[in-house]
Amino acid sequence: MRAVVERYGTALAGLALIVFFLVFAPNFAAPANLINVVKDTCVLALLALGFGFALTAGELDLSFADVASFAAVMAGFLVQAGHGAAAGAAGAVTAGLALGLVNGAVVTRLNVPSLIATLGLAAVARGLAFWITQGVGFTGRWPTAFTGLARGTTLGVPNLALWLIGATTFAWVLLKWTKAGAHLAATGEAGEAARLAGVDTPRMRRLGLALSGAFAGLAALLLAANLSSAAPNMAGDFFLYAVAAVLLGMTMFEPGRPNVPGTVFAAFTLKALGNGMVLMGAPYYAQDVALGVIIVASVAVSGTILRKAAFRV
Amino acid sequence: MSTGPILALRGLAKRYGAVEALRGVDLDVARGEVLAICGDNGAGKSSLLKVASGAEPPSAGEISLDGRAVSFRSPHDALGMGLATIYQDLALAPRLSIAQNVYMGSELTRGVGPLRLLDKAAMARGARALLARLNSTLDDMAAPVEHLSGGQRQAVAIARALRWDARLVLMDEPTAALGVRESAQVRELILRLKQEGRTVVLVSHDMRDVVAVADRVVILAGGRKAQERPVDGLDATDLTRLVMNAAA
Ligand SMILES: Nc1ncnc2c1ncn2[C@@H]1O[C@H](COP(=O)(O)OP(=O)(O)OP(=O)(O)O)[C@@H](O)[C@H]1O
Ligand SMILES: [Mg+2]
Repeated sequence: MRAVVERYGTALAGLALIVFFLVFAPNFAAPANLINVVKDTCVLALLALGFGFALTAGELDLSFADVASFAAVMAGFLVQAGHGAAAGAAGAVTAGLALGLVNGAVVTRLNVPSLIATLGLAAVARGLAFWITQGVGFTGRWPTAFTGLARGTTLGVPNLALWLIGATTFAWVLLKWTKAGAHLAATGEAGEAARLAGVDTPRMRRLGLALSGAFAGLAALLLAANLSSAAPNMAGDFFLYAVAAVLLGMTMFEPGRPNVPGTVFAAFTLKALGNGMVLMGAPYYAQDVALGVIIVASVAVSGTILRKAAFRV
Repeated sequence: MSTGPILALRGLAKRYGAVEALRGVDLDVARGEVLAICGDNGAGKSSLLKVASGAEPPSAGEISLDGRAVSFRSPHDALGMGLATIYQDLALAPRLSIAQNVYMGSELTRGVGPLRLLDKAAMARGARALLARLNSTLDDMAAPVEHLSGGQRQAVAIARALRWDARLVLMDEPTAALGVRESAQVRELILRLKQEGRTVVLVSHDMRDVVAVADRVVILAGGRKAQERPVDGLDATDLTRLVMNAAA
């Protein structure tokens, strides 16, 4: 019984919350609204899964939101300069991946703790994004080939939902069913033991940070495509939400460890919470309060790997 | 080659900055024996294991395995050559499962080419079989190691050494921080390794371990070998006196 509460307690609480909104929040249960919540979950879940990859390897990536903003701006720059949708999409993901690789190199080769290294890179990414855009942001007309990546549908299913399913599956298979995933987990859980057992731990830490960057790039691409705009700091608001999703996810399914089902379910729950509160007429700032409480409470319940990552400064 | 020492150390030295942890140690470990290494705090016991296992490079001296000079770049190198080391605190990942710990760094996979997935069923079976060889009754291979007793954890760590089919197992204070019954379990595990024809080098502060399992004892003092003799006929008090005399 205790084990069930430990593994599924917060997940059940999240489910109860969703049921509550289904019953009491006006229009929450409307199919169009639920589809919107799923679509909203996509970008958040991608960023959270990225943060989760790095955390699995024992590294804190505090740069992912600024990396995503920078990647969105790169996509905007390429698309608006007429290089086409493919170049814009590739540009965003490449930019994210490149910054993730820089994080990995700084952390493992220069031995700068990730808390500091990624904070530094976040500032650099933010500066670059403002520099490229001169602070204005790319709006104007975007080719439908680009916006369709997020706004289109395939076989009647919204593309954002498909991206969410694809990214979740990729992350889950990688972490649970591959050698690289096992090595990432061993590195984050017990770096020295993993190293002594032959795991290339610096490489795994680089992999975790690189995946975080690549996922931030993909999230940025979908965010820009969905909004038809790319502005510096456009992903900034996602930072706390994504961190909260990972931390809340760590309280369920595999308590104490970042895990894919927990992260995605938590991301959905957070989006449902925001949506339901708005529909019930709660003031906007109430969401911020709820978010802060969720973050702190999650870590209080289970935050061992986070503590390790944060305090290895 | 099969008759000489399995591990031979010659003039082994290790310096940490100004500290000389080892000052030229010569040591032969015979095939199939359990050799205990004793000595006061700071005598250099852990340093000896670290250097012999590839965790730290020696400052001087030579290491040969099966009569051949070796220089391990990492403990993983040593593992591949049949030498496994069980470091006391660093061996396991508490929140990962028993199977994940046993196969850490050498996971089993199935599939074709680059599309290989973990073979979790095979790892659970393998881990269970290895633990059974150690007379361990652990059954749920998916259980996290953090819920196990200290003795069971040592069994998991030793199962990993068996997974590599290590012919030579080095252990640093495997009974430190364990209760009476758990220490007895670990001694059983060591005797099992010996029965299987494996060689064990055991660092311990607990003279009861030494009396119970070791064939020979080497006493280190100040980074040098002070004594080397069979355990035959010695009891824990005698051994304690030898260590104290060596340190004085
Ligand atoms: N990484 C290190 N850096 C600096 N000095 C070290 C390091 N490791 C060991 N030493 C020093 O080397 C000497 C031998 O240490 P070692 O750990 O080998 O002793 P030990 O016999 O294992 O002692 P104990 O019984 O306390 O475990 C000590 O003086 C110790 O302080
Ligand atoms: Mg020691």
